[in-house]
Amino acid sequence: MPAEQPDVLRGTLDLLVLKTLALEPMHGWGIAQRIEQFSRATLRINQGSLYLALQRLERSGSIDAEWRATDNNRRARFYRLTPKGQRLLRSETAAWQQYVTAVTWVLQTT
Amino acid sequence: MLSKLRYALASVLRSGRMNRALDDEIAHHIALQTEQNIANGMTPGEAHRQAVLAFGSVQSLREAHRDGRGTRWLSDLRADVRHSFRTLARTRALTAAAILTLALAIGADSSVYSAVNAVLVRPLPFRRPERLVLIGENNKDFLWHMADAAPANYFDWRARVAGFQDVMAYVHFGLTATLMIDGTPRLVPVARVTGNFFSVLGVVPERGEGFTDADTWDTGTPRIVLSDRLWTALGRDPTIIGRTIPVDGRATLVVGVAPRGFTFPQPNIDLWSPVGWSKDDAAQVFFRRAHWLRVIARLKSGVSAEQANAQLRAVAEQLKIEYPATNRIMEAELQPLHRFLAGDTRLPLLVLLGAVTLLLLIACANVASLSLIRAASRSREIAIRAALGAGRSRLVRQAFAESLVLSAVGGAAGLGLGWVGTRILTLLLPPDGSLLPVDTVALDWRVTLYVVGVSLACGMLFGIAPAVWASRRAPGDALATSSRGSSANVQVRRWGARLAVAEVAIALALSVAAGLLVRSYAKLQGVDPGFDPTNVLTASIELPGNRYGDGAPIRQFYDQLLERVRGFPGVTDAAAVTRLPLTEPGWSSAFSIAGASGGNFGASLLHRQVTPDYFRTLRVPLRAGRWITTADAGPPYVVVINDVFAREYFKGADPVGQRICFDQQPDSNSTWRTIVGVVGSEHQVTPGTAPEIEAIAPFAQEASHAMSVVARTRGDPMALAPLVRSAVRDLDPQLAITRIETLSDIRATSMARDRFLMTLVSMFGMLGVVLAVIGVYGVLAELARERMREMGIRLALGAQGRAVQWLIVRRGLLFGAAGVGLGLALALAGTRGLARLLFQVPPSDPLTFAVVASALLAATIVASWLPAWRSSHVDPVAILREE
Repeated sequence: MPAEQPDVLRGTLDLLVLKTLALEPMHGWGIAQRIEQFSRATLRINQGSLYLALQRLERSGSIDAEWRATDNNRRARFYRLTPKGQRLLRSETAAWQQYVTAVTWVLQTT
Repeated sequence: MLSKLRYALASVLRSGRMNRALDDEIAHHIALQTEQNIANGMTPGEAHRQAVLAFGSVQSLREAHRDGRGTRWLSDLRADVRHSFRTLARTRALTAAAILTLALAIGADSSVYSAVNAVLVRPLPFRRPERLVLIGENNKDFLWHMADAAPANYFDWRARVAGFQDVMAYVHFGLTATLMIDGTPRLVPVARVTGNFFSVLGVVPERGEGFTDADTWDTGTPRIVLSDRLWTALGRDPTIIGRTIPVDGRATLVVGVAPRGFTFPQPNIDLWSPVGWSKDDAAQVFFRRAHWLRVIARLKSGVSAEQANAQLRAVAEQLKIEYPATNRIMEAELQPLHRFLAGDTRLPLLVLLGAVTLLLLIACANVASLSLIRAASRSREIAIRAALGAGRSRLVRQAFAESLVLSAVGGAAGLGLGWVGTRILTLLLPPDGSLLPVDTVALDWRVTLYVVGVSLACGMLFGIAPAVWASRRAPGDALATSSRGSSANVQVRRWGARLAVAEVAIALALSVAAGLLVRSYAKLQGVDPGFDPTNVLTASIELPGNRYGDGAPIRQFYDQLLERVRGFPGVTDAAAVTRLPLTEPGWSSAFSIAGASGGNFGASLLHRQVTPDYFRTLRVPLRAGRWITTADAGPPYVVVINDVFAREYFKGADPVGQRICFDQQPDSNSTWRTIVGVVGSEHQVTPGTAPEIEAIAPFAQEASHAMSVVARTRGDPMALAPLVRSAVRDLDPQLAITRIETLSDIRATSMARDRFLMTLVSMFGMLGVVLAVIGVYGVLAELARERMREMGIRLALGAQGRAVQWLIVRRGLLFGAAGVGLGLALALAGTRGLARLLFQVPPSDPLTFAVVASALLAATIVASWLPAWRSSHVDPVAILREE
């Protein structure tokens, strides 16, 4: 993995995980892969942070998890968005977009 | 919120499984990454290595994940507790001392609390007992308060007070009945009750049924309910219900068996029978004039005791107007039943609880200083942990955990000792039930809960000092300095000194209380009861009225019995009396003195009957006139009065030759009795209560079924007991002796409550002093150890041993003086509560205060002497070489 890949910005990892899970239930490795794919390999996920984020979201009730058999018959822990998680995703997305717009405005100031 | 809770719960309960789940998840992740790496063309080994590398530190993820469960404090607690056990085990002697101290104090506390629980806390064994009230009559002129009620008044209250659901009444003084059990006559205590007794209490008989309202009146067939205890003695025969058995020789129908353990109104009751009044009696004036009932009402739901009390007072006011002859000054009042039953025992029990709580505080202070010493000796360890990044709160928690572990172990041991304590308490209890009107003192769940609470509170209390101390430590400080002279040790010393002073102060207050009770008891023992109790045997007998009638047969029986007793070896005198001194006040009535104006003295005169030799047997002195003699058999009626009566009502005039009668308003039917003599006053109830006015009539002129035979002997009076028993058996094989005991024992029983209280508080006081002395010693020994080097140098430079000793002793003296000063203030404030329990000793008795204060001061000096001596005998060379 290239070293210049930026780490996911602190605080946005939760949002990325929620977004990923909004598409379909997924296990940890899958989530990491998806985020890398979606970001066109720009964002690198710190695996430790990922599992802590999953724990955080599970504790807050935004996602829940269960052990399932994967397509190739392995046991993996799948995560899924709860209704609370969906609401959180909507509000966090809105907040993020507002933030990006605000930062962009600041940066475009000449 | 709920999901968070579920998550926290799951993580606590399944911590191991959660760790494994995370490991599985990581393994899965790495496996998939490895596959992808292989697909990207790596060799399997390289693929795995890269996957692991990319994942990063598994260990730190594991730790962060565990912290992320939000239950870190719990696992910390587990670690703390485990660590505490280990450190406590390392300092075995200190730990053992702390646990022993705690166990003793908590054990004493739990046994006293179990008594408090039995009397004051545990609800009465009735249905909704909080709705029950006891009604008593008040008479300002006679100084009656919550006194027995007259039956006619009872019926009027029952009919007129709207707030009462129902009202029952019973006769509470010791009635008995004779029953044949296994062929031998046995006297059993009986409660005479109105027909609704059981229904008002809400107690349903275990078998059969209770009484009905109709039973209040004489139905012709006597009925009884048996206690479970008596039913067992009769063989637990279920068919006994509905059968008749002879009671006092009369065929009596058994209608029910009370639930096991139900013995209201007294712990020894074995039979309940209805009062069975006759309608004729109810019309008589005595039905409203004579007062002999205890009355209990159940309040209607929604009616408060205050409301019912107001209604009751209003009814009493009506009765005053309707029946002026009997009720002119009679008032009525109600009290919650529980409070009434606890009665006099409330104060002594609360005093005991207070004493034992003080003891517990001393123990806590003691354990606190032990913990402090231990913490100080581990200051380096704590400093290293702080330096390695242990949070301040973490260190405080660690200190608390140790205290809690100590208090939990101490509390558990205390509960065990408490069980032993309740057994000891039961043995020490006055046998007459004057302290605990209950028969069961046990460690029930309430006591257990209390002990758990107290232990935790103790742990918190003595955990504070070491915890605060641990939190204030700057790590660099402890690491930089070795164990001597650092600021931290100044802190330890300061806390230790505070604790030692507090211990001395509390021990002083406790000992002052003990001292006052000891002085009071000594005064009580010094009281001349008005007779000589040594070497006198007493045997109380009650002849059944249905076989002995009213006159001649009774006199004949007692004459024959006394004749035999006088013939027994060693007996010098024998007589009989209706009521023994130092037991109970007994019967009393209003009275008139012939020729005295008014006649209504507003006080009641006690009366007794005696056989001629009574005064000689008990060595009661004759003050004026003559004794009662065998010649006083028929009219003219004579009486002997006690000197209190002579002093208070004849004011210097000679009472001998004057006449009295036991009526308030004498008429032509009144019996006038001529006073023939004045005798010394016997204390009727206890040595602590002043003798009341009393008139003593000849037994030959006024026979009584119930008498006590008294016999003065040359040797041990109890040796006579079997002879007396067999004499009674010879005269009447169906007769049971109620009680046989020596007069000295009766005297001891009359002071038993005072002795009980004195013994326990003194024990607690002594224990408190020992603990306080140990506490002072501990602090000074620590001080001496710390200043060992300094002492060594002083000695090396030529200081006198005495001067070095003084350095330590001065400290001890300081603790002692401060503690004693503080304790005196504490005791002055606290012992006022004792006033009602003290006899002829003021609660601020200067002698007691002075003696206890100087004793405690001396004790602290002794406690400081050993460490002082040791520090003056250190070897300077050895000390200096230690560097």
